[in-house]
Amino acid sequence: MMLDQIKRQINRIKTRGATYVDTRWYPVEETNSLLMWNGNLKDASSTHESGLGVRVLFNGAWGFSASSDTSDLTALYDRAFDNARIASERIALPVRLAEKDAIQAKFVSPNKINPFEVPLAEKIAFLNEMDKKLDQPGVTQRVSDLTFVRKQMIFVDSEGSEIEKVITEVFAGLEVDGVDSEGGMHERKFKPFRRGDTRGWETIDLQHFSENAERIVRELNATLIADPCPIDDRSVILLPGIMYLQTHETIGHALELDRILGYELAFAGGSFVTLDDFGKLRYGSEKLTARADATLTNTPGSFGYDDDGIPAQDNLLIDKGILVGAITGRQMVEEANARAQRQIFQGSSGANRATAFYRVPIERMTNINIDPGSDGALEDIIRKTERGIVLDGDRSWSIGSNREQFHFGTEAGWLVEDGRITKAVKNATYKGATLPFWNSLTAVGDRSTWEVHYVANCGKGQPNQIMQLGHGVPVCRFDNVRIGE
Amino acid sequence: MTMKEKILNTLEQLRLYALSKGYTVSIYYQEEDSSLMRFANSAISLNTNEHLIRMEITAYEDRKRASYGMITDLSKIEEMKRGIEIAVEMVKHSMPLTYQPTVPVYHEAFIDERGYDQALAEISNDEKLAFFNQVVEGLETADVKLSGIFSNGSNTIAMVNTTSAHPLYIRTSDAQVSIVLAHSVLKWEIQSEQSAQKKTELSPHDLRRELEFLMEHYQSDAPQQIPLGKYDIVFGSAAVADMVGFMRYIVINGGLMKRGFSCLRKEDMGRKVFSGKFTLTDDPTRLQTFPFGSDLFGIQRKPFPLVEKGIFNSFIWMQDDADEFGEEATGHTVPHLSLSMSGGTQQVRSLEDLASQPRDSDLLYIPFLHYMNIVNPSKGILTSSSRFGALLLKKDGSIVIPYNVRLTQSLFDVFGENVDWLSNETTAYNTSLSYGARNPAAIIVPRFTRVNGLEISHSNSSY
Repeated sequence: MMLDQIKRQINRIKTRGATYVDTRWYPVEETNSLLMWNGNLKDASSTHESGLGVRVLFNGAWGFSASSDTSDLTALYDRAFDNARIASERIALPVRLAEKDAIQAKFVSPNKINPFEVPLAEKIAFLNEMDKKLDQPGVTQRVSDLTFVRKQMIFVDSEGSEIEKVITEVFAGLEVDGVDSEGGMHERKFKPFRRGDTRGWETIDLQHFSENAERIVRELNATLIADPCPIDDRSVILLPGIMYLQTHETIGHALELDRILGYELAFAGGSFVTLDDFGKLRYGSEKLTARADATLTNTPGSFGYDDDGIPAQDNLLIDKGILVGAITGRQMVEEANARAQRQIFQGSSGANRATAFYRVPIERMTNINIDPGSDGALEDIIRKTERGIVLDGDRSWSIGSNREQFHFGTEAGWLVEDGRITKAVKNATYKGATLPFWNSLTAVGDRSTWEVHYVANCGKGQPNQIMQLGHGVPVCRFDNVRIGE
Repeated sequence: MTMKEKILNTLEQLRLYALSKGYTVSIYYQEEDSSLMRFANSAISLNTNEHLIRMEITAYEDRKRASYGMITDLSKIEEMKRGIEIAVEMVKHSMPLTYQPTVPVYHEAFIDERGYDQALAEISNDEKLAFFNQVVEGLETADVKLSGIFSNGSNTIAMVNTTSAHPLYIRTSDAQVSIVLAHSVLKWEIQSEQSAQKKTELSPHDLRRELEFLMEHYQSDAPQQIPLGKYDIVFGSAAVADMVGFMRYIVINGGLMKRGFSCLRKEDMGRKVFSGKFTLTDDPTRLQTFPFGSDLFGIQRKPFPLVEKGIFNSFIWMQDDADEFGEEATGHTVPHLSLSMSGGTQQVRSLEDLASQPRDSDLLYIPFLHYMNIVNPSKGILTSSSRFGALLLKKDGSIVIPYNVRLTQSLFDVFGENVDWLSNETTAYNTSLSYGARNPAAIIVPRFTRVNGLEISHSNSSY
């Protein structure tokens, strides 16, 4: 039995002097991807992989090794041990892991219909139907896609935990592009927000997709004949289709504790946040409350237990504007507390995840959400806005290396004058500095405006890793923001 | 039996299996031995190695196409045969394309191991640690911490198909070294990088020299928020390689042009669209780019001029785009191109050279651009922020440390008539990313490129 062999190897490496050993065994990870572009099924592919990743802590340093070949586990575990041994020759602060309970558990993501049991023909029929809906005047390019993922992961560590996870995900999207009279390309996408409590094939609701296919074609055509977005300082009203990305880039990444501690400086960057800031930094206005909630049922940011074996949690990050928490794993909370010489964190927040068996777990976002507010529906916020712009859809995003400033391009923009929408504009962009921006938050929409969007391709780390996660966000308004550059 | 023979034998067995069943398939094999030593906070924060074999089987049936990929190992021949069966089953239920997809045909075997250097591929943990220690000895302090990576490994790509008996086999070695020194309180960060195709190309001395020069200024000079406005900018190799890399998407790609995502049109071919100082070639003869001498459809690759002295020569056409749009494929269906930008006449070999030369105006030196993205593909507009060791070289000879700034600019401005000079020396800048399969890549660019009058649209008041 593979599990017995894994446990024997973990014990063997422990007897060689390792202080901690864990293994993530993926018996299976499978994907199925379909992409239709202008009526052509450009991609019809499936993948299957399996293998082991071994993490060893020796003399305060990590070593990692992974292979799809499970025929020589002894060599695999020895390589991980040797990697830790050489790493221990250059340590600054020996790695310590926050306390946790030994857990034996199983987590299965909620699904009604397993997408891998749905016939290929049915999936292609859905894409065909969407392609027809998108094939309208003004549309030069139309894309619809479906991606299905199923992973079985077994986590075993030297502290007595044994956790099995079976996670199934369904990702889908629609996009239309068109060219304006000056030759400029414009796009409009529908990336469905999460509805219901599950995340299987049942989330592919033909009527919901059809309605949104018609909407994005309509909005694209309005953009194609619109005036350019003016360069101006205005209130920006962000719909969830761009608000999720604003949250992702300037709260989520900024509050990953490994970034704050300097572990991403060679690549992804750092954070303007320091350890001194916790408990006192005014990150945003009093209307801002943000949390990392891995207990939502229907998003890829919920996974039962992280890859340290820590259960899912719902933790405050920003409480009425004040920074109070971070996105953490076992190693980083210990290091942060030691460096700060105070107990900032009470334990891991359960956010250490790896993208595959052949990558090492690092701090990743779960569901980084903004709590709904009390400023009513979208219409209420627009009505109370004198000079503004409503923005939706991510088109481009670029963020400073410490997450201190940003520039976003959006797909759709509508100017607001004296409490009402006056006209659509094209090439709408906005930019700002992170802290002044969040402190200019003057309206937060109520629960009716709150949507859970997912990110299917968040990149971080070296070796690079792609991760899936979510953001539950309301409509928000920020004042005095530069647009149009 | 050598590893190469074992791989090619396995692929031949699979090819014969598929032929015996009457299938039309192509089989893509990729094997990587990857090692990465990562440093943070002056310690080794991670030391990894992965050995992975990936296989992708594409099945064809008239106008239909489907593929099945797996992570496997060479002992699992039956699993691989099952993979062929799955791909063939998928293609039966797939949907015909509106065009006829080309099935690869290899008219002769293509075996290329020129880019493999065993000494680099198998460099030991001890050597990597010693290399880092040599570069930064004495440069770290209680506040100035070391970060970085030493990534090295080997990559083997092999391919066979049922339409021809010949294999394609390419093996390369590569290393990417990035060394960052960052101040844990003041938050400035400086960097030096190196790309290597063979071990002898690694030079700790060159890395150290650049870091020492930057450290001297960053440790002693207070950073400043520089005013918004137009600057004469000298870009370093990382910044230029990043911008040239984006040209793959919004400038030279024929398929994307047809779909409306390019800032050039067919009628721009033969027109002068960039500076006369700008020449860009896809040059698979340059081993520093970890090149493919043949594309995956069997087209032999030769130097392919993209832009010659500012005149746009041609789009590249990958096989599937060529099939769809009725064009002739240009041999660019490869995991990465071998982009090479020509150097100029300016004699400037190092950052010290640049800083010490007399100048007719203030020069903003931007070595690296962080988080670049496309704002408007039709106009070629990109945005990104400076990072890692920018300097404001004042006309009077003094040097100021600027906080990071944002540029939102068109490629037509960056590589257009405002180009003042290019350094005569070029360098291979490593652009490898390790998402998914190992795919070592580098772009050859001038060490320094001066462009006048570019707008800074945002200027930080701190890090």
